[in-house]
Amino acid sequence: MSRRALRIVTILLTVLGIGIAGYVTYVHYAGIKPACTAGESCAKVQTSIYSELAGVPVALMGLIGYIAILATLLAPESERTRFATLALTLGGFGFSAYLTYRELFSIHAICEWCVTSAVVMTLLMLLSAWRFMRGAPVSPGSGSAFAGPVDAVTDGGVGVN
Amino acid sequence: MSSVNDPESDLTRKQRREQAREQRRAMEEASAVQASQRKRLIQLGGVAGVVIVIIAIIVIATGSGGSKTAPAPKSAAANAAQTSVVSLLQGIPQSANTLGNPSAPVTLVYYGDLECPFCKQFTLTALPSIIKKDVRTGKAKIQYRAMATATREKEIFQTQQVAALAAGKQNRMWYYVELFYHEQGEEDSGYVTESYLQGLASQVPGLNLSQWSSDRNNPAYANEVISDAQSANQNGFTGTPSFIVEKAGQAPHKLENTSLTDPKDIEEAIAKA
Repeated sequence: MSRRALRIVTILLTVLGIGIAGYVTYVHYAGIKPACTAGESCAKVQTSIYSELAGVPVALMGLIGYIAILATLLAPESERTRFATLALTLGGFGFSAYLTYRELFSIHAICEWCVTSAVVMTLLMLLSAWRFMRGAPVSPGSGSAFAGPVDAVTDGGVGVN
Repeated sequence: MSSVNDPESDLTRKQRREQAREQRRAMEEASAVQASQRKRLIQLGGVAGVVIVIIAIIVIATGSGGSKTAPAPKSAAANAAQTSVVSLLQGIPQSANTLGNPSAPVTLVYYGDLECPFCKQFTLTALPSIIKKDVRTGKAKIQYRAMATATREKEIFQTQQVAALAAGKQNRMWYYVELFYHEQGEEDSGYVTESYLQGLASQVPGLNLSQWSSDRNNPAYANEVISDAQSANQNGFTGTPSFIVEKAGQAPHKLENTSLTDPKDIEEAIAKA
């Protein structure tokens, strides 16, 4: 996958995550029942005590997380922004894993919105890890594949591997 | 045999030097790439480690879900719930599962599950306003019907609903239902026990407990739970709370996905009926 395609796929997944987290946050604050094909499962999860952490809805945390990930993806690419994306998606992945554990073993119900978000976050984490490990593109004439001098080279630019 | 100063031999030496330089550069580049990969791997591992520690702290801090259990009978929380319920319902006529004047022109049918947290939210936030504005004034009456959603065990669902219906035999079902929601425990925590159900009954003002206990064995109530479920099914309801606004001579009006905190939707539907 080219760097450009990788970045676009990552951005699209993040936008999908923003949509999911945004809807669930809206449902939380509007006090309405979420659309759910699995009967009351979503409602059960979203009204459980685990739907908030220290008084903050986990849906809102997810929304903020996805927006932060998008910000790191839209910023000019550098070693630092790739690391920031990786750190955020790893954090999001860990948190999604915790919430899925709570759904399965504490709430005994599965919310399809949460599961979809967990899948999106897992994909984002894998793509971000791949993107981070690939490092910066090699610029012709730089004489080195080492990240430093080509940090400012943006996606779709010269020297795409 | 070529001499030391042979130009051909000189070129070869240059080439060899060039080759050696190239090799050295390639090795340096390769080792730089390796060093960079190693650095990234360490960074990745570092972040993963921090994430694992944070999640472990969250899991430990949130533990088994805190102490959101039902309040013990006669506890301060139970007494506060009782005071609030009595002040809301006192003076409003009740008959079986219906709250309000039997001749009120509009009937609001409320499908609920006593263990459903959404129903609790609705009952504690939106419903009091409807009771004050529409039921107390005689504009509407509310019928409570059972629909299993949050309660996992069918048997417990039936037992708790029959306990409420048996209080209805003494025209006190709404006290029981309101107290249940006010003192609702954490889902799936197994809080609905015989002592919990009896504790609620002991809080219902004026309830004859021995009569209530004997009425709980009346098979008519178990059948009523089944017929409530059938009617919810016929109406196509998939979640609780769900509502129907009925008025003689008019087609029933179903209300789903209404706000759980704002009574406006239901109040408007009652006013329009």
